[in-house]
Amino acid sequence: MHREIRDHIEDVLRGGDTLKHAREHLAQCDECRTEVQGMQEQTELIRELRAPEDFAADLRPGFYARVMERIEAEGPISIWNLFIESAFGRRIAVASLALALLIGVYVVTSERSAEDATVALQSQQQATMEQTFVAGEDAPAREITRVDQSQTDQSSEDAVLANLVTYREQ
Amino acid sequence: MDASITTLPFPAVGEGTRARTRVDHKTSEEAALVRRVQARDEMAFREVVERYQSKVFSIIFGILRNRNDAEDIAQQVFAKVYFSIKSFDFRSSLLTWVYKITVNECYDYLRKKRVRKLVYESDFSREDAQRMEASEPAIDAGVPADTRLAQRDLILKLLSKVSEEERTLILMKEVEGHSVEELAGMTGLNENTIKVKLFRTRQKLLKAAGRLTRIR
Repeated sequence: MHREIRDHIEDVLRGGDTLKHAREHLAQCDECRTEVQGMQEQTELIRELRAPEDFAADLRPGFYARVMERIEAEGPISIWNLFIESAFGRRIAVASLALALLIGVYVVTSERSAEDATVALQSQQQATMEQTFVAGEDAPAREITRVDQSQTDQSSEDAVLANLVTYREQ
Repeated sequence: MDASITTLPFPAVGEGTRARTRVDHKTSEEAALVRRVQARDEMAFREVVERYQSKVFSIIFGILRNRNDAEDIAQQVFAKVYFSIKSFDFRSSLLTWVYKITVNECYDYLRKKRVRKLVYESDFSREDAQRMEASEPAIDAGVPADTRLAQRDLILKLLSKVSEEERTLILMKEVEGHSVEELAGMTGLNENTIKVKLFRTRQKLLKAAGRLTRIR
């Protein structure tokens, strides 16, 4: 909307004597005319929210007494009401619950994984012990293998030396 | 729409108008009454209730068109006034403050009613719910039979898209028929600010209407 209209929009919408240059601008500018028309339609709709002319705001007698009864029933607003009744308070409560839930889930799962780790460690230790026990039974066999190996190494060394000697003699 | 609207000077108001509409709400007779209510003087509170009960009742009826609920909401408005009066800071008139509480209570009622309706309808089949929606004069019904009702629904929906302050201002301007000058006096803002706020509210309403029509 152009400034010529924007500056005087309340006068334009009131439909009274608008300034000459505002009228001239509206006659020329489609954009402003469309927007003003939309605002006028909305203004008419908002005015529908007026109570009817013949509406009698006649409350039943004893209205003040009923208000006081309600005040006594409700009591003063406590700090907890601010959390329970306001949208912001409710959001904080929901966020806190969600956070508490997350922490709970984390604690439970981490405890479980710690238990699993302990069980795994224990079973690993047990397995190691069993292996050691089995290894203890194999020990002589391994030693024999090791002796055999050293014997094989020794004989191959001798063979190499013998070859060298015969090579020099040749 | 002009996107650069916020950067432009707005609007040209005569020099004399700004200071003229300043009203000191701290020294008026009404301020003395409010101070007595703040000190929990029940006679003073009774005077406030009696002074504004008809106004509050007609504001509520204008918005909701339901006489039975109007009294209940009016009671709630004055209970809120009683409990919150200590936070009243005398920057605006008491009527402006009460008006704002009243409109907020109406919107709170509409919101609760919508939630209740959703919960209630969830117990019925889709056909039952559609039949009820078409028959009852609900404020947020999808396709009300009466065009006037549909228009009221639409404007209430649109007004829920702007801030509390903007909603109160536009309603005080168009429903109560106060001039910009009177609004400046009642709210403690200057006329220029009132005009800017009203213009922005109108633009927001137009945009919201555009979005709503596109969705439909």
